[in-house]
Amino acid sequence: MNFSLDEFNKKISNAESFKQLGEERDKFNEMIQDLHTSIEQIKEINQIHDLFIQRTITLSETTLRGRGFGPPPVSYDFILFGSGGRQEQTLWSDQDNGIVYENPNNEHKEKVKSYFKELAITIEHGLERAGYPPCEGNVISTNPLWNKPLDDWYFKMNEWFEDPHWEHVRYLLILADSRSVYGQGILINKIKTRYFSEVASLSPRILEKMLHNTLRHKILLGVFGHLIKEQYGEEAGGLDIKYGAYIPMVNGIRLLSIEAGLFETSTLERIHKLKLMNLIPERYAAEYEKAFSNIFKLRYRTLYKKENGMYTSNGILKAKQLTKEQREELKSSLKIANKLQKYIKKKIDSSR
Amino acid sequence: MDLTTIGLNSIWLMLATILVIFMQGGFILLEAGSTRMKNAGHVAGKTIFTFGIATLVFWAVGYGLIYGGDGNAFIGWGDFFLNPNPEAVDGDAYPQTIDFMFQLAFAGIALTIAWGGFAERGKLAAYLIFSVLFIALVYPVVAHWIWGGGWLSEHGKQDFAGSTVVHLTGAMAALAATILLKPRIGKFNKDGSANEIHGHNQVFTALGVLILWVGWFGFNAGSTLEVGKAFFGYVALNTQLAAGAGAIAALLIAWAITGKADVPTMLNGALAGLVAITASCAFVDPWAAVVIGIIAGLLVFGSMKFFEKLKIDDPIFALSVHGVAGVWGTISTGLFATETLAVQTLDWGKPGLFYGGGFEQLGVQVMGVVTSGLFAFVASFIILAIMKAVMGLRVTEEQEIIGLDLSEHGSYGYPEQIKQTNN
Repeated sequence: MNFSLDEFNKKISNAESFKQLGEERDKFNEMIQDLHTSIEQIKEINQIHDLFIQRTITLSETTLRGRGFGPPPVSYDFILFGSGGRQEQTLWSDQDNGIVYENPNNEHKEKVKSYFKELAITIEHGLERAGYPPCEGNVISTNPLWNKPLDDWYFKMNEWFEDPHWEHVRYLLILADSRSVYGQGILINKIKTRYFSEVASLSPRILEKMLHNTLRHKILLGVFGHLIKEQYGEEAGGLDIKYGAYIPMVNGIRLLSIEAGLFETSTLERIHKLKLMNLIPERYAAEYEKAFSNIFKLRYRTLYKKENGMYTSNGILKAKQLTKEQREELKSSLKIANKLQKYIKKKIDSSR
Repeated sequence: MDLTTIGLNSIWLMLATILVIFMQGGFILLEAGSTRMKNAGHVAGKTIFTFGIATLVFWAVGYGLIYGGDGNAFIGWGDFFLNPNPEAVDGDAYPQTIDFMFQLAFAGIALTIAWGGFAERGKLAAYLIFSVLFIALVYPVVAHWIWGGGWLSEHGKQDFAGSTVVHLTGAMAALAATILLKPRIGKFNKDGSANEIHGHNQVFTALGVLILWVGWFGFNAGSTLEVGKAFFGYVALNTQLAAGAGAIAALLIAWAITGKADVPTMLNGALAGLVAITASCAFVDPWAAVVIGIIAGLLVFGSMKFFEKLKIDDPIFALSVHGVAGVWGTISTGLFATETLAVQTLDWGKPGLFYGGGFEQLGVQVMGVVTSGLFAFVASFIILAIMKAVMGLRVTEEQEIIGLDLSEHGSYGYPEQIKQTNN
């Protein structure tokens, strides 16, 4: 793989329509055929994803202007959740996003609301054209739950913290990974500042809830130290790298980061910061970093396909894609993921 | 023999007969629950009418070919169209009428096991014809060899209640059938990977297993035939232990290997424990019954995966539960049979390898299981291959997709449910 960030930046910024953007996206995915990607390259790929999304938003604003909606009535942050928020997007990531906008005056409230509703619809369409399928879990700015003014975000967030049942805790965990991809990031930072002060006042009870919510994904390691494979279907023998390896590590590190009040969203940055703050022992931090990097690279090797113009994958790594050494390496990474889960459980239980 | 003893024996054996016949109810639920809704009425109904066929054929020829006095080492001869003395006669421990009923119940179970290989795609006509031929030509041969004074019984082959005679024979017919019928539509992908075709009701399957479990006390404990000093209690104890051990072992191994504590696998583990202990229940110590059950539970899990790897579709796992566990159960007596039970209590064969019997009994067991299994497979395969050539065994693709309830019988087992899903 060999590409220049600047060159792509230029091409993407020059795209004048969603169609052109879609063509650039296809070229981009085509170029990265070699799936043996390094962590550095994955970072660059994520910067390019950001460029695609930013350009989609700019074009959407232009479209709305052309349709007589005018410029954005108040400032806003377009935020990414999930892998986009964590800067861990793959070549087949879907849309997980939301909008937070400045509180409008009462008299303009409905007008502003309808602007952002329209903007969200346009962006969703644009991102689809650029190959990003809509989020299956409906975490997307076209859903009013994820598209509202700052005060409403505060209000909702309060509600989630006050009644932390399973679904609300899920929302809180989603919010923890949020990152502004377009806008100054001031609004999302305000939300997060309040988020962390709520966490601090409600700990450890809220952390326990979050812990239980994230432990349901079982690591792909059996009691005999073997890899747990898919049993049936066309993926039989394959490994569910996404839910059996990647997500458990992401969830574990995220939980420690929420406890620590970190604004960082990328898992590797979070590990680094936790180490600097002496919140995890250095030895552990090195292990986590190594294990996560290995799993993350394997995740990139999952096969994906283009379906209805959008890039998707089932997250399963085929068994024959791995050599014996790679399987052994994966097993040791999974052992560390297991250790991470145990460490977190112990930590949160003992803080009770 | 005094009348009281005859009476007690007869009541016990009649009760056991009823329990074994009631196992058909267990199979109805087990098989219907393990298959899809569109075939439920067919699966349930065919168990009843094929048992009807088995009854008439067993009365006409089957019983005589096993126990008829004018036979040889290979087959029995006599007592066709049985017309027994209405009461026990001198020297009988129980009347022949009840003996016939008990033996018939066993033959019926072997046939029902064989249907596992036909499930969800066999033609109704194939069920009718094979019922006749299996009860007349396949089952009696193995039963005669081991129980009817045939050549294996002369070697002292130990099979107390039929791990080989009933379960392996049935499973071998199922194997022949499933090979000739080929897998169900949608079971395997082009690349050879298997899909899971879920049964439509795990509650039925579990209840079926429980009914079988209870029925097994008739099957195993009833095989003492006589009340005597109530040895049947000991046989029942071993049966219970092996069933429990099989269920636990299968659950744990599935959980450990696949990460999922799969309910159907656990249920198959209980059945595998029962099938395995069927041969050995009267020959082994209780601790050995537990070991036999555990190994059966582990084997059934591996075997289910193994047949899938071979691309053999075994819809209700008859090959694993009755075949593999049947083989293991038969061999297990060659390992665990104690001198006290085999020689002193039963006078049936010799002690096993772990009880000072050396390899002798084990050798007999292996020879018995190989020859019986081979005969049952080859005979069933020839019969079914001829049937396939002459009349065909499998419904058409379209019929298979609509479901056998409608295509073979004209009405659905669950009319309302099916209409909803079709809309």
